[in-house]
Amino acid sequence: MPDVDVLVVGAGPAGAVAAWEAKRAAPELDVLLLERDRAVGAPVRCAEGVGDAGLREFASPDAAPWVARKITRVVFIAPDDTEVGVAERDVGWILDRTRFDAFLAAQAVAQGAELRVGTEAAELRRVVDGRWEVCARGSQGAATWRARIVIGADGVETMVGRWAGLDTRVPARDMESCAQYVLQGIDFDPNAIYLQFGDHIAPGGYAWLFPKGVGIANVGLGLVALKSDGRNARQYLDAWVARRYPRGARTAYTVGGVIVHTTIKQTWADGVMLAGDAAHMINPLSGGGIVNAMKAGRLAGRTAAAAIREGDTSGQRLAAYHRAWMELLGEDHLKYYRIKQALEGLDDDFFNALARTVNGIPQRQRTLGRIFAHALLKHPQLIPVAARFFM
Amino acid sequence: MRLAQAAEVAVVDLAVCDRCGLCLPLCPPEAIHLKLDDLVVDRASCTGCRKCVAPCPVGALAMTDA
Repeated sequence: MPDVDVLVVGAGPAGAVAAWEAKRAAPELDVLLLERDRAVGAPVRCAEGVGDAGLREFASPDAAPWVARKITRVVFIAPDDTEVGVAERDVGWILDRTRFDAFLAAQAVAQGAELRVGTEAAELRRVVDGRWEVCARGSQGAATWRARIVIGADGVETMVGRWAGLDTRVPARDMESCAQYVLQGIDFDPNAIYLQFGDHIAPGGYAWLFPKGVGIANVGLGLVALKSDGRNARQYLDAWVARRYPRGARTAYTVGGVIVHTTIKQTWADGVMLAGDAAHMINPLSGGGIVNAMKAGRLAGRTAAAAIREGDTSGQRLAAYHRAWMELLGEDHLKYYRIKQALEGLDDDFFNALARTVNGIPQRQRTLGRIFAHALLKHPQLIPVAARFFM
Repeated sequence: MRLAQAAEVAVVDLAVCDRCGLCLPLCPPEAIHLKLDDLVVDRASCTGCRKCVAPCPVGALAMTDA
Protein backbone atom coordinates (compact mmCIF):
# COMPACT_ATOMS: atom_id res chain seq x y z
CA MET A 1 0.00 0.00 0.00
CA PRO A 2 1.54 3.33 -1.03
CA ASP A 3 2.09 5.94 1.67
CA VAL A 4 1.43 9.63 1.21
CA ASP A 5 1.82 12.47 3.64
CA VAL A 6 -1.20 14.56 2.65
CA LEU A 7 -4.19 13.20 0.75
CA VAL A 8 -6.69 15.80 -0.44
CA VAL A 9 -10.19 14.67 -1.45
CA GLY A 10 -11.73 16.99 -4.05
CA ALA A 11 -9.94 19.17 -6.61
CA GLY A 12 -12.15 22.25 -6.40
CA PRO A 13 -10.76 25.59 -5.18
CA ALA A 14 -10.34 24.41 -1.56
CA GLY A 15 -8.62 21.14 -2.38
CA ALA A 16 -6.39 22.41 -5.18
CA VAL A 17 -5.12 25.29 -3.06
CA ALA A 18 -4.64 22.98 -0.06
CA ALA A 19 -2.45 20.63 -2.14
CA TRP A 20 -0.60 23.59 -3.70
CA GLU A 21 0.11 25.22 -0.32
CA ALA A 22 1.06 22.01 1.49
CA LYS A 23 3.64 21.24 -1.18
CA ARG A 24 4.90 24.82 -1.27
CA ALA A 25 5.31 24.93 2.51
CA ALA A 26 7.02 21.51 2.71
CA PRO A 27 8.39 20.36 -0.69
CA GLU A 28 9.63 17.06 0.78
CA LEU A 29 6.06 15.84 1.41
CA ASP A 30 4.12 13.48 -0.87
CA VAL A 31 0.84 15.22 -1.63
CA LEU A 32 -1.95 13.45 -3.53
CA LEU A 33 -5.05 15.25 -4.88
CA LEU A 34 -8.05 13.08 -5.79
CA GLU A 35 -10.92 14.25 -8.01
CA ARG A 36 -14.09 12.18 -8.32
CA ASP A 37 -15.11 13.56 -11.70
CA ARG A 38 -13.23 12.76 -14.88
CA ALA A 39 -12.42 16.44 -15.43
CA VAL A 40 -11.34 19.00 -12.86
CA GLY A 41 -13.82 21.88 -12.96
CA ALA A 42 -16.74 20.03 -14.54
CA PRO A 43 -19.63 19.91 -14.08
CA VAL A 44 -19.87 23.56 -13.00
CA ARG A 45 -22.26 23.95 -10.05
CA CYS A 46 -21.65 27.63 -9.48
CA ALA A 47 -22.64 31.16 -10.52
CA GLU A 48 -18.87 31.82 -10.91
CA GLY A 49 -18.66 35.30 -9.32
CA VAL A 50 -15.71 36.36 -7.14
CA GLY A 51 -14.57 39.61 -5.52
CA ASP A 52 -11.46 41.30 -6.91
CA ALA A 53 -9.33 41.60 -3.77
CA GLY A 54 -9.82 38.03 -2.57
CA LEU A 55 -9.05 36.55 -5.96
CA ARG A 56 -5.82 38.54 -6.26
CA GLU A 57 -4.42 36.88 -3.14
CA PHE A 58 -4.11 33.74 -5.27
CA ALA A 59 -3.81 34.70 -8.92
CA SER A 60 -3.95 37.74 -11.17
CA PRO A 61 -7.16 37.86 -13.21
CA ASP A 62 -5.76 40.43 -15.69
CA ALA A 63 -5.94 38.84 -19.15
CA ALA A 64 -6.17 35.38 -17.52
CA PRO A 65 -7.70 32.67 -19.74
CA TRP A 66 -9.91 31.52 -16.84
CA VAL A 67 -11.79 34.83 -16.60
CA ALA A 68 -15.09 35.33 -18.42
CA ARG A 69 -15.92 38.97 -17.53
CA LYS A 70 -14.75 41.87 -15.39
CA ILE A 71 -17.60 43.36 -13.34
CA THR A 72 -17.71 47.06 -12.49
CA ARG A 73 -21.35 47.55 -11.53
CA VAL A 74 -23.99 45.92 -9.36
CA VAL A 75 -27.70 46.33 -10.11
CA PHE A 76 -30.10 45.46 -7.30
CA ILE A 77 -33.68 44.85 -8.41
CA ALA A 78 -36.46 45.29 -5.87
CA PRO A 79 -39.40 42.86 -5.78
CA ASP A 80 -41.48 45.38 -7.79
CA ASP A 81 -38.75 45.54 -10.50
CA THR A 82 -37.36 48.95 -9.40
CA GLU A 83 -33.70 48.87 -10.44
CA VAL A 84 -30.96 50.37 -8.25
CA GLY A 85 -27.56 50.67 -9.87
CA VAL A 86 -24.57 50.85 -7.56
CA ALA A 87 -21.55 52.09 -9.46
CA GLU A 88 -18.23 50.86 -8.20
CA ARG A 89 -14.90 50.14 -9.76
CA ASP A 90 -13.28 46.71 -9.88
CA VAL A 91 -16.15 45.01 -8.11
CA GLY A 92 -15.15 41.55 -9.19
CA TRP A 93 -14.94 38.92 -11.85
CA ILE A 94 -17.00 36.18 -13.40
CA LEU A 95 -14.79 33.13 -13.73
CA ASP A 96 -14.80 30.28 -16.17
CA ARG A 97 -14.76 27.63 -13.43
CA THR A 98 -13.89 24.81 -15.82
CA ARG A 99 -10.65 26.59 -16.68
CA PHE A 100 -10.12 28.21 -13.27
CA ASP A 101 -10.29 24.97 -11.27
CA ALA A 102 -7.97 23.31 -13.80
CA PHE A 103 -5.57 26.27 -13.45
CA LEU A 104 -5.48 25.85 -9.65
CA ALA A 105 -4.99 22.08 -9.88
CA ALA A 106 -2.17 22.65 -12.39
CA GLN A 107 -0.48 24.99 -9.89
CA ALA A 108 -0.57 22.16 -7.32
CA VAL A 109 0.94 19.76 -9.86
CA ALA A 110 3.61 22.29 -10.88
CA GLN A 111 4.54 22.50 -7.20
CA GLY A 112 4.99 18.72 -7.17
CA ALA A 113 1.62 17.34 -6.02
CA GLU A 114 0.12 14.33 -7.78
CA LEU A 115 -3.37 14.70 -9.27
CA ARG A 116 -5.70 11.80 -10.07
CA VAL A 117 -8.99 12.54 -11.84
CA GLY A 118 -11.84 10.07 -12.14
CA THR A 119 -10.94 8.72 -8.70
CA GLU A 120 -13.58 8.71 -5.99
CA ALA A 121 -12.72 8.23 -2.33
CA ALA A 122 -14.99 5.40 -1.20
CA GLU A 123 -13.93 4.74 2.37
CA LEU A 124 -11.77 6.20 5.10
CA ARG A 125 -10.39 3.90 7.80
CA ARG A 126 -8.33 4.83 10.82
CA VAL A 127 -5.29 2.59 11.29
CA VAL A 128 -3.50 1.87 14.56
CA ASP A 129 -0.47 4.07 13.94
CA GLY A 130 -2.71 7.15 13.72
CA ARG A 131 -2.78 7.31 9.94
CA TRP A 132 -5.79 6.98 7.65
CA GLU A 133 -6.36 4.40 4.94
CA VAL A 134 -8.19 5.91 2.01
CA CYS A 135 -9.84 3.45 -0.39
CA ALA A 136 -10.69 4.86 -3.80
CA ARG A 137 -12.15 3.53 -7.03
CA GLY A 138 -12.38 4.89 -10.50
CA SER A 139 -11.16 4.76 -14.05
CA GLN A 140 -7.83 3.24 -13.04
CA GLY A 141 -9.41 0.59 -10.82
CA ALA A 142 -9.44 0.42 -7.03
CA ALA A 143 -6.55 1.72 -4.96
CA THR A 144 -5.73 2.30 -1.31
CA TRP A 145 -3.34 4.83 0.17
CA ARG A 146 -2.17 5.35 3.72
CA ALA A 147 -2.07 9.04 4.64
CA ARG A 148 -0.83 11.03 7.62
CA ILE A 149 -3.35 13.78 7.00
CA VAL A 150 -6.55 13.76 4.95
CA ILE A 151 -8.01 17.10 3.85
CA GLY A 152 -11.71 16.81 3.01
CA ALA A 153 -12.51 19.36 0.31
CA ASP A 154 -15.38 17.29 -1.04
CA GLY A 155 -18.11 19.89 -1.12
CA VAL A 156 -21.63 20.19 0.24
CA GLU A 157 -22.09 16.40 0.25
CA THR A 158 -18.83 15.75 2.15
CA MET A 159 -18.34 12.07 2.88
CA VAL A 160 -14.90 12.67 4.42
CA GLY A 161 -16.58 14.66 7.18
CA ARG A 162 -18.96 11.81 7.93
CA TRP A 163 -16.25 9.16 7.87
CA ALA A 164 -14.18 11.24 10.29
CA GLY A 165 -17.16 11.54 12.63
CA LEU A 166 -17.66 15.29 12.15
CA ASP A 167 -21.15 16.79 12.18
CA THR A 168 -21.72 18.44 8.80
CA ARG A 169 -25.51 18.45 8.90
CA VAL A 170 -27.43 21.68 8.36
CA PRO A 171 -30.97 22.83 9.25
CA ALA A 172 -33.34 23.22 6.27
CA ARG A 173 -33.74 26.96 6.90
CA ASP A 174 -30.03 27.43 6.13
CA MET A 175 -29.95 25.54 2.83
CA GLU A 176 -30.39 27.46 -0.41
CA SER A 177 -31.82 25.31 -3.18
CA CYS A 178 -30.34 26.62 -6.42
CA ALA A 179 -30.99 26.21 -10.13
CA GLN A 180 -29.24 27.98 -12.98
CA TYR A 181 -29.27 28.21 -16.76
CA VAL A 182 -26.65 29.54 -19.10
CA LEU A 183 -28.74 31.85 -21.27
CA GLN A 184 -27.61 33.10 -24.66
CA GLY A 185 -29.00 35.88 -26.82
CA ILE A 186 -30.32 38.11 -24.03
CA ASP A 187 -29.97 41.86 -23.37
CA PHE A 188 -28.15 43.25 -20.32
CA ASP A 189 -25.13 45.36 -19.38
CA PRO A 190 -22.23 42.87 -19.68
CA ASN A 191 -20.23 44.85 -17.07
CA ALA A 192 -22.90 44.44 -14.38
CA ILE A 193 -24.26 41.70 -12.17
CA TYR A 194 -28.00 41.80 -11.43
CA LEU A 195 -29.58 40.60 -8.18
CA GLN A 196 -33.35 40.49 -7.61
CA PHE A 197 -35.03 39.86 -4.28
CA GLY A 198 -38.65 39.04 -3.54
CA ASP A 199 -40.87 36.45 -1.92
CA HIS A 200 -42.50 35.57 -5.23
CA ILE A 201 -39.12 35.43 -7.03
CA ALA A 202 -36.76 33.57 -4.69
CA PRO A 203 -38.09 33.38 -1.09
CA GLY A 204 -35.25 33.49 1.43
CA GLY A 205 -32.67 34.04 -1.31
CA TYR A 206 -32.29 35.93 -4.57
CA ALA A 207 -32.22 35.55 -8.32
CA TRP A 208 -29.08 36.50 -10.23
CA LEU A 209 -27.68 37.28 -13.64
CA PHE A 210 -23.88 36.98 -13.88
CA PRO A 211 -22.47 37.84 -17.33
CA LYS A 212 -20.22 35.34 -19.08
CA GLY A 213 -19.92 37.54 -22.16
CA VAL A 214 -21.97 39.91 -24.31
CA GLY A 215 -25.46 38.38 -24.45
CA ILE A 216 -24.42 35.29 -22.45
CA ALA A 217 -24.95 34.89 -18.72
CA ASN A 218 -25.42 32.54 -15.80
CA VAL A 219 -29.05 33.15 -14.83
CA GLY A 220 -30.18 31.41 -11.69
CA LEU A 221 -31.65 31.64 -8.24
CA GLY A 222 -31.45 30.23 -4.75
CA LEU A 223 -34.33 29.88 -2.34
CA VAL A 224 -35.15 28.39 1.05
CA ALA A 225 -37.59 25.56 0.41
CA LEU A 226 -39.34 26.06 3.78
CA LYS A 227 -40.53 29.45 2.44
CA SER A 228 -41.54 28.25 -1.00
CA ASP A 229 -45.15 28.09 -2.22
CA GLY A 230 -44.70 24.44 -3.13
CA ARG A 231 -42.65 24.93 -6.28
CA ASN A 232 -39.06 23.74 -6.45
CA ALA A 233 -36.07 25.90 -7.41
CA ARG A 234 -36.23 24.95 -11.08
CA GLN A 235 -39.90 25.93 -11.28
CA TYR A 236 -39.24 29.32 -9.67
CA LEU A 237 -36.36 29.84 -12.11
CA ASP A 238 -38.48 28.93 -15.13
CA ALA A 239 -41.03 31.55 -14.04
CA TRP A 240 -38.34 34.24 -13.58
CA VAL A 241 -36.67 33.50 -16.90
CA ALA A 242 -40.00 33.43 -18.75
CA ARG A 243 -40.81 36.88 -17.38
CA ARG A 244 -37.42 38.60 -17.79
CA TYR A 245 -35.58 36.74 -20.56
CA PRO A 246 -38.24 34.95 -22.61
CA ARG A 247 -36.14 34.88 -25.77
CA GLY A 248 -32.97 33.47 -24.21
CA ALA A 249 -31.64 30.12 -25.40
CA ARG A 250 -31.10 27.81 -22.41
CA THR A 251 -27.80 26.24 -23.45
CA ALA A 252 -26.85 24.69 -20.10
CA TYR A 253 -28.54 23.81 -16.83
CA THR A 254 -27.30 23.01 -13.34
CA VAL A 255 -28.62 22.67 -9.80
CA GLY A 256 -27.04 22.55 -6.38
CA GLY A 257 -27.17 23.43 -2.70
CA VAL A 258 -25.51 26.40 -1.02
CA ILE A 259 -25.24 26.22 2.77
CA VAL A 260 -25.90 29.68 4.24
CA HIS A 261 -25.10 28.81 7.82
CA THR A 262 -21.85 29.33 9.74
CA THR A 263 -18.69 27.22 9.90
CA ILE A 264 -19.26 23.78 11.45
CA LYS A 265 -18.32 23.71 15.14
CA GLN A 266 -15.42 21.34 14.61
CA THR A 267 -13.57 21.24 11.27
CA TRP A 268 -10.87 18.85 12.46
CA ALA A 269 -10.30 15.37 13.85
CA ASP A 270 -7.16 13.31 14.37
CA GLY A 271 -5.37 13.54 11.01
CA VAL A 272 -8.34 15.24 9.27
CA MET A 273 -9.29 18.77 8.27
CA LEU A 274 -12.35 19.90 6.29
CA ALA A 275 -12.17 22.95 4.01
CA GLY A 276 -14.58 24.96 1.85
CA ASP A 277 -18.23 23.97 1.33
CA ALA A 278 -17.60 20.72 3.24
CA ALA A 279 -17.09 22.81 6.40
CA HIS A 280 -19.88 25.32 5.54
CA MET A 281 -17.35 28.12 4.93
CA ILE A 282 -19.72 30.14 2.76
CA ASN A 283 -20.66 33.76 3.35
CA PRO A 284 -24.20 33.24 4.68
CA LEU A 285 -25.39 36.63 3.41
CA SER A 286 -24.08 36.51 -0.17
CA GLY A 287 -23.79 32.76 -0.68
CA GLY A 288 -20.28 33.31 -2.06
CA GLY A 289 -17.79 30.54 -1.36
CA ILE A 290 -14.96 30.40 -3.92
CA VAL A 291 -12.46 32.75 -2.28
CA ASN A 292 -13.42 31.46 1.18
CA ALA A 293 -12.64 27.94 0.02
CA MET A 294 -9.24 29.00 -1.33
CA LYS A 295 -8.38 30.81 1.90
CA ALA A 296 -9.40 27.77 3.95
CA GLY A 297 -7.45 25.49 1.63
CA ARG A 298 -4.37 27.64 2.10
CA LEU A 299 -4.68 27.44 5.90
CA ALA A 300 -5.33 23.68 5.82
CA GLY A 301 -2.38 23.02 3.47
CA ARG A 302 0.02 25.06 5.58
CA THR A 303 -1.22 23.52 8.82
CA ALA A 304 -0.80 20.02 7.36
CA ALA A 305 2.77 20.79 6.28
CA ALA A 306 3.73 22.20 9.67
CA ALA A 307 2.04 19.41 11.63
CA ILE A 308 3.79 16.66 9.65
CA ARG A 309 7.17 18.35 10.06
CA GLU A 310 6.56 18.51 13.81
CA GLY A 311 5.49 14.86 13.83
CA ASP A 312 2.17 15.70 15.46
CA THR A 313 -0.96 15.21 13.34
CA SER A 314 -3.34 14.85 16.29
CA GLY A 315 -6.66 16.63 16.35
CA GLN A 316 -5.32 18.87 19.09
CA ARG A 317 -2.56 20.05 16.74
CA LEU A 318 -4.91 20.48 13.76
CA ALA A 319 -7.35 22.51 15.85
CA ALA A 320 -4.95 25.39 15.13
CA TYR A 321 -6.40 25.34 11.59
CA HIS A 322 -9.90 25.89 12.96
CA ARG A 323 -8.77 28.77 15.15
CA ALA A 324 -6.93 30.42 12.25
CA TRP A 325 -9.99 30.11 10.01
CA MET A 326 -12.33 31.54 12.64
CA GLU A 327 -10.04 34.50 13.11
CA LEU A 328 -9.64 35.05 9.36
CA LEU A 329 -13.30 34.75 8.26
CA GLY A 330 -15.32 32.42 10.47
CA GLU A 331 -16.10 35.13 13.03
CA ASP A 332 -17.22 37.48 10.22
CA HIS A 333 -19.59 34.80 9.00
CA LEU A 334 -21.25 34.77 12.43
CA LYS A 335 -21.95 38.49 11.97
CA TYR A 336 -23.24 38.02 8.41
CA TYR A 337 -25.48 35.24 9.67
CA ARG A 338 -27.02 37.58 12.23
CA ILE A 339 -27.68 40.16 9.50
CA LYS A 340 -29.28 37.47 7.35
CA GLN A 341 -31.58 36.56 10.25
CA ALA A 342 -32.53 40.19 10.77
CA LEU A 343 -33.25 40.75 7.07
CA GLU A 344 -35.55 37.73 7.06
CA GLY A 345 -37.98 39.79 9.15
CA LEU A 346 -38.38 42.43 6.41
CA ASP A 347 -40.98 42.07 3.66
CA ASP A 348 -41.21 42.95 -0.03
CA ASP A 349 -42.83 46.35 0.71
CA PHE A 350 -39.79 47.31 2.75
CA PHE A 351 -37.35 46.42 -0.03
CA ASN A 352 -39.46 48.28 -2.62
CA ALA A 353 -39.37 51.38 -0.40
CA LEU A 354 -35.64 50.99 0.25
CA ALA A 355 -34.98 50.86 -3.51
CA ARG A 356 -36.77 54.18 -3.98
CA THR A 357 -34.81 55.72 -1.10
CA VAL A 358 -31.50 54.68 -2.63
CA ASN A 359 -32.56 55.93 -6.06
CA GLY A 360 -32.98 59.34 -4.39
CA ILE A 361 -29.21 59.44 -3.83
CA PRO A 362 -27.34 60.74 -6.90
CA GLN A 363 -25.68 57.86 -8.76
CA ARG A 364 -22.14 59.15 -8.28
CA GLN A 365 -22.59 59.46 -4.53
CA ARG A 366 -23.84 55.91 -4.04
CA THR A 367 -21.10 54.52 -1.88
CA LEU A 368 -22.19 51.68 0.37
CA GLY A 369 -21.59 53.83 3.44
CA ARG A 370 -23.82 56.62 2.17
CA ILE A 371 -26.54 54.18 1.13
CA PHE A 372 -26.39 52.66 4.59
CA ALA A 373 -26.64 56.05 6.31
CA HIS A 374 -29.60 57.19 4.16
CA ALA A 375 -31.32 53.85 4.56
CA LEU A 376 -31.03 54.01 8.36
CA LEU A 377 -32.50 57.53 8.44
CA LYS A 378 -35.47 56.71 6.23
CA HIS A 379 -36.12 53.16 7.35
CA PRO A 380 -35.81 52.78 11.10
CA GLN A 381 -36.68 49.07 10.69
CA LEU A 382 -33.06 48.69 9.60
CA ILE A 383 -31.64 49.80 12.95
CA PRO A 384 -31.98 46.34 14.50
CA VAL A 385 -30.23 44.93 11.42
CA ALA A 386 -27.37 47.36 11.86
CA ALA A 387 -27.28 46.68 15.58
CA ARG A 388 -26.91 42.96 14.98
CA PHE A 389 -23.94 43.58 12.73
CA PHE A 390 -22.04 45.36 15.46
CA MET A 391 -23.10 42.99 18.24
CA MET B 1 -31.88 -2.90 19.69
CA ARG B 2 -33.79 -2.33 16.47
CA LEU B 3 -35.62 0.96 16.17
CA ALA B 4 -39.22 1.00 15.00
CA GLN B 5 -39.31 1.40 11.25
CA ALA B 6 -40.70 4.58 9.73
CA ALA B 7 -44.13 4.39 8.06
CA GLU B 8 -42.76 6.25 5.04
CA VAL B 9 -39.27 6.49 3.61
CA ALA B 10 -37.69 8.77 1.01
CA VAL B 11 -37.08 7.48 -2.51
CA VAL B 12 -35.09 9.14 -5.26
CA ASP B 13 -36.00 9.19 -8.94
CA LEU B 14 -32.57 8.70 -10.50
CA ALA B 15 -33.84 9.81 -13.91
CA VAL B 16 -34.52 13.27 -12.44
CA CYS B 17 -31.75 13.48 -9.78
CA ASP B 18 -28.70 15.55 -10.81
CA ARG B 19 -26.43 14.10 -8.06
CA CYS B 20 -25.84 17.62 -6.69
CA GLY B 21 -25.56 16.34 -3.10
CA LEU B 22 -27.77 19.04 -1.55
CA CYS B 23 -29.89 16.48 0.33
CA LEU B 24 -26.98 14.80 2.15
CA PRO B 25 -26.36 17.40 4.89
CA LEU B 26 -30.14 17.89 5.31
CA CYS B 27 -30.67 14.28 6.40
CA PRO B 28 -30.65 14.02 10.23
CA PRO B 29 -29.74 10.29 10.35
CA GLU B 30 -27.31 10.66 7.39
CA ALA B 31 -29.27 8.02 5.49
CA ILE B 32 -28.50 9.46 2.03
CA HIS B 33 -25.23 8.56 0.31
CA LEU B 34 -23.73 9.87 -2.91
CA LYS B 35 -21.57 7.59 -5.00
CA LEU B 36 -20.25 8.39 -8.43
CA ASP B 37 -23.33 7.43 -10.42
CA ASP B 38 -25.82 6.83 -7.66
CA LEU B 39 -27.73 8.62 -4.95
CA VAL B 40 -28.77 6.01 -2.41
CA VAL B 41 -31.32 6.31 0.40
CA ASP B 42 -30.71 3.74 3.12
CA ARG B 43 -34.29 2.61 3.83
CA ALA B 44 -33.33 1.06 7.14
CA SER B 45 -32.04 4.32 8.63
CA CYS B 46 -34.47 6.79 6.94
CA THR B 47 -36.84 8.10 9.61
CA GLY B 48 -39.41 9.47 7.16
CA CYS B 49 -38.89 13.08 8.33
CA ARG B 50 -39.29 14.49 4.75
CA LYS B 51 -36.59 17.14 5.28
CA CYS B 52 -34.94 16.18 1.99
CA VAL B 53 -38.09 16.36 -0.17
CA ALA B 54 -38.98 20.04 -0.68
CA PRO B 55 -35.38 21.38 -0.92
CA CYS B 56 -34.49 19.16 -3.89
CA PRO B 57 -34.09 21.74 -6.68
CA VAL B 58 -35.58 19.38 -9.28
CA GLY B 59 -38.13 17.45 -7.19
CA ALA B 60 -36.31 14.12 -7.44
CA LEU B 61 -37.16 12.99 -3.88
CA ALA B 62 -40.54 11.76 -2.72
CA MET B 63 -41.99 9.64 0.08
CA THR B 64 -43.19 6.08 -0.32
CA ASP B 65 -44.60 3.43 2.02
CA ALA B 66 -41.80 1.73 3.88
